Amino acid sequence: MRILIVEDEPTLKAQLGEALQAAGYAVDTADNGVDAHFMGENDPYDAIVLDVGLPRMDGITVLRKWRAAGKTTPVLILTARDGWHEKVTGIDAGADDYLTKPFHMEELLARLRALIRRAGGHASAELGCGPLRLDTRNSRATVDGQALTLTSHEYRVLAYLMHHQDEIISRSDLVEHIYAQDFDRDSNTVEVFIARLRKKLPVDLIETVRGLGYRLRAPQ
Amino acid sequence: MTMTPAAPRKSLRWRLLAGTLLWIAATLLIAGWGLGNLFQQHIESQFHAELKTHLDQLAAQITINGKNRPELAQPLSDPRFNRPYAGIYWQIDDLDNPAADPLRSRSLWDARLTVPGDRPGDGEIHRHRVAGPEGATLGMIERSIHLASPTEDRPRSFRLIVAADERLMDEPAGQFNRALWLALAVLGSGLLIAAAILVVVGLAPLDTLRVALGKVRNGDSQRLDGAFPAEITPLVEEFNSVLAQNADVIARARTHAGNLAHALKTPLSILSNAAHPRDDEFARLVADQVDTARRQIDYHLTRAQVAASHAPGTRCLVAPVIDGLLRAMRNIHAERPLDLKVRAMPDTLAFRGDTQDLQEMFGNLIDNACKWAAQRVEVHACLEGNRLVVTVDDDGRGIDAEQRDTVIRRGVRADESVPGSGLGLSIVDELAQLYEGGLTLSASPLGGLRTMLDLPGISAKTP
Repeated sequence: MRILIVEDEPTLKAQLGEALQAAGYAVDTADNGVDAHFMGENDPYDAIVLDVGLPRMDGITVLRKWRAAGKTTPVLILTARDGWHEKVTGIDAGADDYLTKPFHMEELLARLRALIRRAGGHASAELGCGPLRLDTRNSRATVDGQALTLTSHEYRVLAYLMHHQDEIISRSDLVEHIYAQDFDRDSNTVEVFIARLRKKLPVDLIETVRGLGYRLRAPQ
Repeated sequence: MTMTPAAPRKSLRWRLLAGTLLWIAATLLIAGWGLGNLFQQHIESQFHAELKTHLDQLAAQITINGKNRPELAQPLSDPRFNRPYAGIYWQIDDLDNPAADPLRSRSLWDARLTVPGDRPGDGEIHRHRVAGPEGATLGMIERSIHLASPTEDRPRSFRLIVAADERLMDEPAGQFNRALWLALAVLGSGLLIAAAILVVVGLAPLDTLRVALGKVRNGDSQRLDGAFPAEITPLVEEFNSVLAQNADVIARARTHAGNLAHALKTPLSILSNAAHPRDDEFARLVADQVDTARRQIDYHLTRAQVAASHAPGTRCLVAPVIDGLLRAMRNIHAERPLDLKVRAMPDTLAFRGDTQDLQEMFGNLIDNACKWAAQRVEVHACLEGNRLVVTVDDDGRGIDAEQRDTVIRRGVRADESVPGSGLGLSIVDELAQLYEGGLTLSASPLGGLRTMLDLPGISAKTP
């Protein structure tokens, strides 16, 4: 799962980045509206945390441009402006949720998880696929109640597949969603992660669709 | 709030009309009286001039016959002298023989003019007013004349008298006065009509102004619109600039408050995030203080951003505000299976005040209901008289009757810190009070809390 954080205050941006990385997300950051607009439009993020008061282009304008361009990425507005007038403006501009500063990091994480989950059409915080369960609240995967030990990249691959069950996910899709922008990407590493996951899962839930990618499917 | 209209003072229109009426009436009366007098004088002098003409004629025609009796060589030209009691008479007294019957006009018939006992000297003409035949008052002139007697050496003296009934003057004077007053009456009513038209036309801009003000007051318009004459244009412009300035001040206050919120809350976020990973006394202290600071900022900034009620010319429709808020609520509370409903609400329903203030009040009420509801939240708004009444119901666990007042009043003073409670509702109550309304809490038929907001409302004729 890859998240874009748009925040112009460097310390807060760093805190958000650390907290989201600790929660298992790949994180990119932008500190102005113009960069944010470009990144959000061109990279496939799973969610975006957007500040409203930004240099060069304000957050509401950025959001409107994304929505006008047809981007449906879930957006959470994180701002100090807490009037209902501003909340309604934000939601009407296309935001999916609105959180005001100061905030509790747990609440931000919970709301982000919920946004990503709802975007994938899942109602519950716990995703299941046969014997495999993934609790997005604490980033834990279990098989028949037994916890799996996963590296952060393995977790990201598994979480992305769990959110998009029964869909064919290309290798490049996976790369886009598990790595931050400045990471040295190598699509071969995806095969490595998939191989490791297959070893850790008791049954082969991950199916290779030749020439297209991978698909996570519950056993019939 | 009840606004009983002040007893209407005497209108400008009536004052102007009554003043004009009095002035016209006084002027015309004086003019009529003066003209009447002038004409009367003119008639009188004509009357006397006529008498004098007759007297001169009499003097020219008088001769003396062989018996020393006066005779007229020719009768006087005015035919009235021959008609009995025609109102104009002459008479010649023989002063040397007072016992003799005087020579007199046929019009005198058997009457006789009696003259006061004076005797005018040579060439003198005396005027008198005497009683005449048939109760008339006569204007009379007399002179004496000496004629050489054919039989005697010394001349004989005669008194020539011409008299006329003063009533002869009345007829032309009466005719003149009738015509005069008729003319003055026509003039007067013409002036009055002109004055009335002037007042109506002249004061019409004031009516336009009154209508424009009413529109601003009702929120139909943001400024005084219309073409006004030069005399009141400065007033209208001044008023419009005050209105604009007012809106400007509010907008600036809001921008500053927003900037301040941003400037304070971002550091607070950083502080609380930095302290959070440490699970110790220090972290809890920071968390508590950050929370207190946040609530104080929220409270005071919300108050600073209030447009403060009675700025004239503001009005907003209720339905779009509620629709917008419900859209926002569905996103913000997306994790909870809420059933948000608006019960029948007229499209024309409007709030007499600022949109953002209304959003702030409704937002807090509906958000509060969404937080506590098990599943259902219902919003209802209607107009009762000139009040906008909005109720928000939820099916949560409600608030006990004895705690309801505290919930509204609590957590608002600087020295009080009641964590996480009341603030939203107390802000709503304060905002409502600025609009001379209020917030009441009661038990909802849905089982939870009912919040009822009472605000100044209006039905917008054009939605």
